[in-house]
Amino acid sequence: MKTYPANYPIVQVRGLKKLFPVGGGRKLHAIDGVDFDLQPGRTLALVGESGSGKSTVARCIVRLLEPTDGDVVVHGNSVRPLNPVRMATMYRTLQMVFQDPNASLNPRMTVRKVLEEPLKLHLSMTQDERNARLSELVTLVGLGEEHLARYPHELSGGQRQRIGIARAISINPEVVLLDEPTASLDVSVRGQILDLLKRIQRELNLAYLFISHDLQVVRHVADEVAVMYLGQIVERGPTAEIFDNPRHPYTRALMSAAPVARYGVKRERLRLAGEISTPVDPPPACRLSGRCPIEQPVCSQQRMPLEPINETHSVACPFSDRVAEAVAPPVPAAKAG
Amino acid sequence: MSDAILEIENFSGGFMSPAGEYNQVLHDVGYCLPRGAMTAVVGETGSGKSITALAVLGLQAPTFRHRTGSIRFDGTEMLNLDARGLRDIRGSRISMVFQDARAALNPVFSIGRQLADTWMLHNGGSRAAAMDKAVDALRQVHIPEPERRARQYPHEFSGGMAQRAMIAMAALICTPELLILDEPTTGLDVTTQADIMELIVDLAQSRGLTVCLITHDLGVVAETCDHVVVMNKGCVVETGTTEQIFTAPQDAYTRKLLAASLLTEYSA
Ligand SMILES: Nc1ncnc2c1ncn2[C@@H]1O[C@H](COP(=O)(O)OP(=O)(O)OP(=O)(O)O)[C@@H](O)[C@H]1O
Ligand SMILES: Nc1ncnc2c1ncn2[C@@H]1O[C@H](COP(=O)(O)OP(=O)(O)OP(=O)(O)O)[C@@H](O)[C@H]1O
Ligand SMILES: [Mg+2]
Ligand SMILES: [Mg+2]
Repeated sequence: MKTYPANYPIVQVRGLKKLFPVGGGRKLHAIDGVDFDLQPGRTLALVGESGSGKSTVARCIVRLLEPTDGDVVVHGNSVRPLNPVRMATMYRTLQMVFQDPNASLNPRMTVRKVLEEPLKLHLSMTQDERNARLSELVTLVGLGEEHLARYPHELSGGQRQRIGIARAISINPEVVLLDEPTASLDVSVRGQILDLLKRIQRELNLAYLFISHDLQVVRHVADEVAVMYLGQIVERGPTAEIFDNPRHPYTRALMSAAPVARYGVKRERLRLAGEISTPVDPPPACRLSGRCPIEQPVCSQQRMPLEPINETHSVACPFSDRVAEAVAPPVPAAKAG
Repeated sequence: MSDAILEIENFSGGFMSPAGEYNQVLHDVGYCLPRGAMTAVVGETGSGKSITALAVLGLQAPTFRHRTGSIRFDGTEMLNLDARGLRDIRGSRISMVFQDARAALNPVFSIGRQLADTWMLHNGGSRAAAMDKAVDALRQVHIPEPERRARQYPHEFSGGMAQRAMIAMAALICTPELLILDEPTTGLDVTTQADIMELIVDLAQSRGLTVCLITHDLGVVAETCDHVVVMNKGCVVETGTTEQIFTAPQDAYTRKLLAASLLTEYSA
């Protein structure tokens, strides 16, 4: 295990932007200025609207996408420009679990090959050591050696997802970007996988970026939560703060929509008015403008930067102190009884 | 006619390994989908939820062997249908959103074109009219700027948008009597998910659509479904109304599943 000073930022994302041309000279601002750090032993969760840019952030960090602007710094070195040597060390440091396990597993490779390849590439091991590691890996994610001979399409959705996780942790990386890692798992296997992720995080002092729509899971695993809306982080803070005291109107709307796994529970959903705004050539205004229940005239006239409201909690809304009166409180976390 | 649109009875089957051995994965699976209702299929990962659903449509892997049982859709034995018979039912009377939505979309055609082609296949009419229908379907699944999005290709969609495009295809472009949704909302934030589930509940009520929802999200089940089927290790271990399953689960596995769904209670 590598040890670092407290708060050592192993990955620093600064002013990250990714624009996609959409024809006619117009641009879709998939990510529009995002900053955060990933620290050893800590988990930052990225939550937010579908299409808000979460996967794009992760793909820019591992350089599957070339950022339009901004920087990703790993161990103090910018990954742009990237030469082949840096690329190789970066791969050892950073691993990613993809949102869509089908597309990321080569359909012509057996599970054995999928898992063996990175071991061969990055670690010097004898064949015996590799075999031992392979059976250790499949067991860790709750599968058996019989799954090694299978092709990805011969596995269920949740089994495939766990192969993606096994591959990412196989070469002892320092940072793992997890994009919806538990979406296809039943709740009991989900619990096991989360325990596994936590355990290896402790053992290896790993930094996690954890992208998920499952707010229960986020509450369970994250130290810090960043909420994205249309390419920007609109709120960020310690997990308990974000869940118990959400201050951005979008965060409130999101929290209020989370279903509760109990029969007969009715929730009061906070609905945002109007059409979802577009990230194509967005105007210099708050991204929630036009849909916000506490909108003020200034909100459609300028961008709203993320501003701290205390040492750890930041909100991109200057009227966040009014949110509590104006907007129904979030549904409390499930409590027994 | 019974009031179940789909009846699966004693359905058993498994896969042939390359070495020629047969490994059984489904053991006497049986459940019914009451007409016009929403039924959830929940359970362990790898328990056979998806392959049972695929078998309904005759879309099992080539190595799948069916041993016993029957699958009756509206009185017709699906297992006896030939390719032609299955084709006539797929898409027009039963449609499905696959667990991996993006893989089900064709990467070389725009989303709008794929929806429009399917519309024309079932309904005929002009391409322009089909395109309008496609854009309208995307709007109904809450995809912003549907006109522009219709011209995009699957890789330009986020995970959740691809899922919504498939829901538009299966529920709105096709107008089936039975809609099977295999994990349709895993890529959706809870706000969008709630909107999509409302749309589906709406369709079920207004059109009398029967819905089979395969999901791991017990919160969605508690809120939207009428009946629940619980599967574990290739068997159906319990079926009942949503109220019965959530308030008085009988089977040990069901109890374990419900307990595990309340993750935060144990850690907090
Ligand atoms: N290759 C691409 N070309 C054009 N647009 C793209 C491309 N990849 C992503 N986008 C767009 O960028 C935006 C952000 O997409 P992204 O996949 O990052 O969203 P997300 O937050 O991960 O959503 P989800 O929760 O649905 O997975 C979306 O509007 C998407 O359509
Ligand atoms: N083509 C195949 N060859 C061999 N085994 C297979 C094949 N397809 C699926 N299986 C196995 O059959 C079992 C049931 O798979 P199925 O996809 O139905 O599970 P599921 O209940 O949908 O799980 P999940 O919730 O993870 O999607 C799994 O153990 C899987 O590994
Ligand atoms: Mg995504
Ligand atoms: Mg499945």
